[in-house]
Amino acid sequence: MNFQAVIGLEIHVEIKTKTKMFSTAPINFSMPPNTLVAPLDLAFPGTLPRVNKSAVEKAIQLSDALHMDIDHELHFDRKNYFYSDLPKGYQITQNYRPIGREGYLDLVLADGRIKRVHIERLHLEEDTAMQHHYANKTLLDFNRAGIPLVEIVTHPDLSTGEEAMKYVEKIREIVTYADVSDGKMEEGSLRCDVNISLRPFGSEKLGTKVEIKNLNSIANVQKAIEYETIRQQKMLLKGEAIIQETRRFDETKKATVRMRVKTDAVDYKYFPEANIPPIKLSEQFVNNAIAKRPELAEQKRERYTKKYNLRDYDADILLINRQNAAYFDDAAQYTQAYQTLANWVNGEVSAYLNKRQIEISQLTIAAHQLAELINLIEVGKLSNKQGRQVFELMLDSDEHPEAIAKKHNLLQLSDPNIILPIVIATLSENPQSVEDYKAGKDRALGFIVGQVMKKMRGQANPSLVNQIVTEEINKL
Amino acid sequence: MHILDLTISEIHRALVNKEITPRELVDEAFRRLESDANNLFETSMKEQTYKRLATLGEPEKDNVFWGIPFMIKDNFSTKGVLTTASSDILNGYIPVFDATVVKKLYQAKALPIAKATMDELAMGGSGVTGHKGPTFNPYDIKHEHIIGGSSSGSAAAVAAGIVPFALGSDTGDSVRKPASHGGLVGFKATWGRISRYGLFPFVPSLDHVGYFTRSVEDAAHALNLLSGYDKMDTTSSIKPVENYVKKIHDGIENARIAVLNQVYSSITDAAVRHAFDHLVENVKAKGIIVDFVDIDEALMRAIYPTYIVLSCAEATSNNANLDGIRFGQRKDGETYQDIMTNSRTAGFSPLIKRRFLIGSFALMRENQFELYQRAQKARRLIVDAVNKIFDNYDAILLPAAPSVAPKFNADSDALSDEYLIADNHLAIGNFGGFPSLTLPLGFKDNLPFGVNVTGRPYADADVLAIAYQLENIIGYRNLSTRRMKQ
Amino acid sequence: MKQVDINVLKDATTRLMFTMSEEQYIKLEKEFSIIIAQMNLIKDIAGVDEAEPMIFPFDISVDTLREDEIEDPLALEEVLKNAPEVDGNEFKLPKVVG
Repeated sequence: MNFQAVIGLEIHVEIKTKTKMFSTAPINFSMPPNTLVAPLDLAFPGTLPRVNKSAVEKAIQLSDALHMDIDHELHFDRKNYFYSDLPKGYQITQNYRPIGREGYLDLVLADGRIKRVHIERLHLEEDTAMQHHYANKTLLDFNRAGIPLVEIVTHPDLSTGEEAMKYVEKIREIVTYADVSDGKMEEGSLRCDVNISLRPFGSEKLGTKVEIKNLNSIANVQKAIEYETIRQQKMLLKGEAIIQETRRFDETKKATVRMRVKTDAVDYKYFPEANIPPIKLSEQFVNNAIAKRPELAEQKRERYTKKYNLRDYDADILLINRQNAAYFDDAAQYTQAYQTLANWVNGEVSAYLNKRQIEISQLTIAAHQLAELINLIEVGKLSNKQGRQVFELMLDSDEHPEAIAKKHNLLQLSDPNIILPIVIATLSENPQSVEDYKAGKDRALGFIVGQVMKKMRGQANPSLVNQIVTEEINKL
Repeated sequence: MHILDLTISEIHRALVNKEITPRELVDEAFRRLESDANNLFETSMKEQTYKRLATLGEPEKDNVFWGIPFMIKDNFSTKGVLTTASSDILNGYIPVFDATVVKKLYQAKALPIAKATMDELAMGGSGVTGHKGPTFNPYDIKHEHIIGGSSSGSAAAVAAGIVPFALGSDTGDSVRKPASHGGLVGFKATWGRISRYGLFPFVPSLDHVGYFTRSVEDAAHALNLLSGYDKMDTTSSIKPVENYVKKIHDGIENARIAVLNQVYSSITDAAVRHAFDHLVENVKAKGIIVDFVDIDEALMRAIYPTYIVLSCAEATSNNANLDGIRFGQRKDGETYQDIMTNSRTAGFSPLIKRRFLIGSFALMRENQFELYQRAQKARRLIVDAVNKIFDNYDAILLPAAPSVAPKFNADSDALSDEYLIADNHLAIGNFGGFPSLTLPLGFKDNLPFGVNVTGRPYADADVLAIAYQLENIIGYRNLSTRRMKQ
Repeated sequence: MKQVDINVLKDATTRLMFTMSEEQYIKLEKEFSIIIAQMNLIKDIAGVDEAEPMIFPFDISVDTLREDEIEDPLALEEVLKNAPEVDGNEFKLPKVVG
């Protein structure tokens, strides 16, 4: 019997706003515990929620990026349960009217197929307090309590760990490019829960769902799903029933491990939050929010390949790191040698950054300066080799690349008036080579070119030299 | 008779004319507070009051609240002052912020003297369930009659002449019913007219800040001070605030008043009926239309069940933050669950627990449709029916309560019309967010009873103006146990 | 709809994080029978199930949201002032498992 995995993903994204979802306390992850807390965050009696405009705008931006229907009225509900990190004893969320509904994301799979993942809902809610667990105690820090979260829930459209991984990567790309979130699973700003069940191929009936939580990397999402698929398959083949439970992925064991059994689905007793009036979002507000969104990777990819004619491969590499792409975009304002620019950013610049273990934001060469360098190479004032040398010097200097090149005598000679006499002289000094060339030995041309370059100490524009030598030798 | 026994406006005149100083007023207020036997305050604010006195400066002619002593129901957050909502679960809780209305009173240089007792967590109507025991009705020195609730201490304090003004809250009738039992003016404005920031929530869409005064004019002054949009409460109204004091003098000749037949006939107490009928005659004699109109009886009988389901259900959620972890009284345990459970077990009275269970039951997935949501639907039908009456009438006039204050431990038939309708019709004012005011109507056996006038949303000025005229017609103004009848 | 029996009530009590004595359960069951009778009065209203549930007393929809601007958070002392148990600058609990 062959089984098919039916997988749904729930992703929580921490939104980068200045203040929390419902309170005016600032958000900052490097502050001491309990220094970023408003009365509401501790759930003191009598405090009331105030909805953060920026969080709503970002939720709209994400909903639009995921092709969702956007609700033009904001409604919030209470999800009631007790837990140590939940100060109010309920979480304010959007159960009945999520801001985004029924969208999709297209994934490109390894075999080139496009897989459309349908997304059921996107809604706003708030984060809980942080718990620091020690041997004999747990300490609560409320800095995180109330931070805005967006929850994105797919329909159970995914079937493999690879698809899930690609989906999560794509979501991460969108939220980072939209500047909505840092999207770092390792830091908890992007969290992924998996719901997985198996059913025999061809069967309509869904199997028992197992939930996998606390995944801390995209790679582990795939590994957990692959392990769990096999685990469930083994059980089903033996005739064992799958237990409805919550599991986590143990990295050392490379296996999913039970956290707790789910008896009944918990009854959260959802009802509308009456401390927040319905908030009408005008068409203008929604459109402005979308217009404010920074360019998404998809949009950049389109621009890179269609407008700049970059190869897909080069575009993809640029887009891996949002800041590199932004640097590229900046530089692209000052040069039209887009492929060369891409090569430099992906090549020389990235190599340098890796070597020094720094981000492109710490690069001491401004984007427009890199563009100038590239332009010098394009017009032939610098050879590639000279370009690299100037690049090195630019790291420690504020001067323009051309000035640096001049100072260090690196400018490539491209003036035919200077080259021509030297070519003529070289040809007259090497009559044998001329004969060889006329006899059909093309290599002789290269020899002459080499000699000219040597006389010019490598600073001549090689292709121009080649051109002039060819012209002159043919005149003889 | 002491100046403290006057109305706010009259006391203000005396202060401005230097007939008395705020210190003398406060001295007298504390004398009365500390010798009072009605168990009406939780925490005295004596130290703070005298500190504030020092910062008062000169009397402010245009500020009627300058130097006026007042009390605050113990479910309003008061910075630096113990606030317990008369529940053990909040023993020791000292807020770090003030409720907006408290702030406004402080800014107006009014002088808070104490936090008033109440029914625990505002969930009651008898004044009996607070953790300090019952609050008594000052009109009965034998302490046999309730003052009502949940704003029991606030009502008792104003009725006993300790202060001329006290803050309360009204979710089902918790200001307007005790006002009737205490011979007071008890007012709650349109929902959202006054900010709820800092008021401990019970049922947010039914909760109102309310207050007690001894004259309708004082109630208008209070509305001038306390109303207005508050950014801290996004359900507060952005509608502009009117000058309610000016407007109470507007004539009401063209007002059309309705008496709901089904509520009227559920009230059978002869004294109440007689006084009410007499009032209606007098109002008509002034040329004002008063019609007895019908409303669906089934809707009236559903008021209390609707209220009890909605209030119990939402109260469970609104009090889920009380767990002994971040504030309030903690009872220890081996796990956080034990701490929460032990704290909540010790902190909540059995009555509260039973209410929570009723509420929890109504919210269960299997029951929500039939119980909670049906109650939400019934609320709409009730409000629609009342709004239909407001299509043709400006106000509804009814006896505020079936009779004078009941005795402690009085039994009532929970399914009788008297209980369901007569005792609970004031909740209409909460369901529809209608401005609603109770004022004294008469006495029976030396205990007061009141009449209630309720108007359309945002017609706060109209309700006050009508009440002002009624006050003149009835002839009872500034009643307290120190002054009895005028 | 769930039947009101003591097991349902006991389960609900546990979920609400408190305990009650046996007498209280008996009292509650009595109260419940009255409440259920009262709730049936709602059922009797003509057209009640077709009505729209009411959440707010009247239309109070707004079109404004809070600007994303920082207002001073509480000072650390204010945060911890009412804390029953503090460790360092955090609220202390026994180790939370699960």
